[in-house]
Amino acid sequence: MRFRSIKPHRPALRIRAMLLIGFSVLLAGCGGAAPASQNGTLRVAMQPIVQTDPAFISSDSEVLVANAVYDYLVDIDAENNIQPRLATDWAISEDGLQYIFQLADGVTFHDGTNLTAADIVWTFNRLRDPSLGLPTADLYANIESIEATADNEVTFRLKESNPFFLYDLSDNHALILKAGTEDPSTGFNGTGPFRVENDSSERIDLVANTSYFISGQPKLKRLEFIFFDDEAAAVNALRGGQIDLVMRMSTSLFTSLQDQAGITAISIPTNGFDLVRLRADRAPGSDPRVIQAFKLATDREAAFTLVQQGYGATGRDSPIGPLFTRYFSEDTPIPARDPQAARQLLADAGYPDGLSLTLHTPDTGGRPDLAAVLKEQWAEAGINIDISVEPESVYYGDNGWLDVDLGITGWGSRPVPQFYLDVMLECGAVWNESHFCDEEFDRLSQIAGSTLNEDERIAAYRQIQQILIERGPIIVPYFFAQFAAISDQFEGFELKAFAGRTDFRMVSQVSS
Amino acid sequence: MLSTGETGAAPVKGRRLSSLLLGLYSRTASALGTTIVLVFLTLALLGPLIAPYGLNEQIAFDALRPPSQAHLFGTDLLGRDVFSRVILGARQVLELAGIGTLAAVLLGTGIGLISGYRGGWLDEIVMRFFDSLLSLPALLLALLLLGTLGPSRRSVLAVIIVVYTPIVARVVRSVTLSVKTRGFVDAARLQGESLGRILFREILPSALPALAVEASLRFSYAIFLVASLGFLGIGVQPPSPDWGLMVKEARAYVSQAPWALYFPAGAIALLVIGVNLMADGLKRELQSGRV
Repeated sequence: MRFRSIKPHRPALRIRAMLLIGFSVLLAGCGGAAPASQNGTLRVAMQPIVQTDPAFISSDSEVLVANAVYDYLVDIDAENNIQPRLATDWAISEDGLQYIFQLADGVTFHDGTNLTAADIVWTFNRLRDPSLGLPTADLYANIESIEATADNEVTFRLKESNPFFLYDLSDNHALILKAGTEDPSTGFNGTGPFRVENDSSERIDLVANTSYFISGQPKLKRLEFIFFDDEAAAVNALRGGQIDLVMRMSTSLFTSLQDQAGITAISIPTNGFDLVRLRADRAPGSDPRVIQAFKLATDREAAFTLVQQGYGATGRDSPIGPLFTRYFSEDTPIPARDPQAARQLLADAGYPDGLSLTLHTPDTGGRPDLAAVLKEQWAEAGINIDISVEPESVYYGDNGWLDVDLGITGWGSRPVPQFYLDVMLECGAVWNESHFCDEEFDRLSQIAGSTLNEDERIAAYRQIQQILIERGPIIVPYFFAQFAAISDQFEGFELKAFAGRTDFRMVSQVSS
Repeated sequence: MLSTGETGAAPVKGRRLSSLLLGLYSRTASALGTTIVLVFLTLALLGPLIAPYGLNEQIAFDALRPPSQAHLFGTDLLGRDVFSRVILGARQVLELAGIGTLAAVLLGTGIGLISGYRGGWLDEIVMRFFDSLLSLPALLLALLLLGTLGPSRRSVLAVIIVVYTPIVARVVRSVTLSVKTRGFVDAARLQGESLGRILFREILPSALPALAVEASLRFSYAIFLVASLGFLGIGVQPPSPDWGLMVKEARAYVSQAPWALYFPAGAIALLVIGVNLMADGLKRELQSGRV
């Protein structure tokens, strides 16, 4: 699955910094090349890659390769926390407009040259240059200037404060290139833990970067990415011992690996979800009672159990999922399913004989199955739907998905919840498919998206969840799971919600 | 006039139907084929009475169960009874393939008769147009049509008619061409019989054996086409118990619940084999002149 490219991420930020959050992190053993002590080869099955220029990568496998060859300035861990990478520590000004990063010492590119602050400046200037038309130009439009303030120090100045700026810097595309790289899609001259040894249409072989700047990393000697078009073939290769790791596979294949000797099957919930939404700006969705009826007619738990087979997490009608541990709240109860009450609400809203609508859904993932489940659940409440399963090119083509009354849309996992509110739920947002427009919601969303006070943001997100449960024209039945299966020969593997950001630096082969 | 039901073509007089059936049952292969078709016809007619569960009835705690007494063919991902869905799917496929074939045969027969009898520029235009339709593979033509009409039952019906009418028309036309120069047709014309009478009373009976065989062949291909379109996900929409669609849906979790795939796939194969065996018998009977 590819995730939609990033669109305007930051709405105008209105609230000025009010809190001192200058903070500094000192972490990650840094200090020159470590003696080579790597051993073992990890063979990873993955989808063939198309893009190798970090500015254009989007699929899991493309990001996976880039993340092994290059380094991010700052990284995200499996719990969505910001972690140091090339930047070992940083300070943020009181007004939230200035970020000063200190770079690790002794970082070298694979061609032997040293990393300097100028490389960081060049990389981000490239990513934000509107004239180059890169997908990241909007994301970084809020940057006023980037300067190398010392050999190992970079200073970013923002136009407006942005509490999620560190997350923006760790965007999938923000891998640090050598200043002046002419064609970033070839050469693979990164600072990352692995060097590309051989690159063909069938596989990419990498060897450990023995002069990697973090002592003791990577632990593997070789990392081989072998391309598989077919998930089932990849899983069979794992069973047969021809490969050691498969990431991303169908629930069915994953289940078949559960009791397989010698293989560890890993499942983690992600922030990605299927969104069932009703257009709220015209009948029938413009009547709040109709929205209520839909919510009362739906059994989210049953949909989760059937369609996702219990992998992932049950949803609560809001894009703020349980993985956002600080923001997720269960304060507002989800009313129990009550088809009779739903029927009554429809009658009150002027639909005594129930409603007939077409439910549009892309043909990918479990969405057609979810549609079949909802059809059965809703029928009891007098909501009769015809299902229209469409190829993604049709569903998203001509912006049809923004137009239809009733639809199911898959939303990929993001490291911060604000993204969903900004593009999907704020009044007039670019992908506001439900055409939801609520003053109180917008006010809270803008506070959450701009305040530098974490407590204030937590409070805003709680209220937002209450609003969405009570009157949002959306149903989030579940959050997806991310799957991986790895041979027992390896340890130190930590799967991330966006599988492509999985880090191989700490993976090692168990000596047998 | 009666029709042979499932093919809806070859009108045969009432007393001839029984002798045709007797003939079909005189050989093992055609007897088997006819029985299979009759069983599926019965299922199609009485499906809702036989099926123990509804077509989209979901029993969450019973999902992905293997065949058992409660669920003869097991259950699918959404806890639906595969046995019930296969039975209810019989009507779906027989209706679509049957009505579609019937319409294509009627339309094709009419066009083939007129075009072949009249000849000249009309024949040229009609046949070249049909040639151009036939030059496209059936599935490609179906994809084009469904892309324009949007996926629905009605569109699938339209696809069957558009794909099979030219084929039937060509068969009928070729018979018409060879028959129209025969003496009895000239005689009818000289007697001043109307065009309709000449076409349907004089020429059509000669085309009937070929037409009956063609119709039953078309019917079995139509079953395939309906299933293929369902499998590609561009035909009838879920949660319809269309066999092809069921195979498509079950494919995603075949390692967990192979029964959800095997039974609808088996039903498609069985019905197509049945129709083909019956068509062979039909051809034999009609050519033997016993009927």
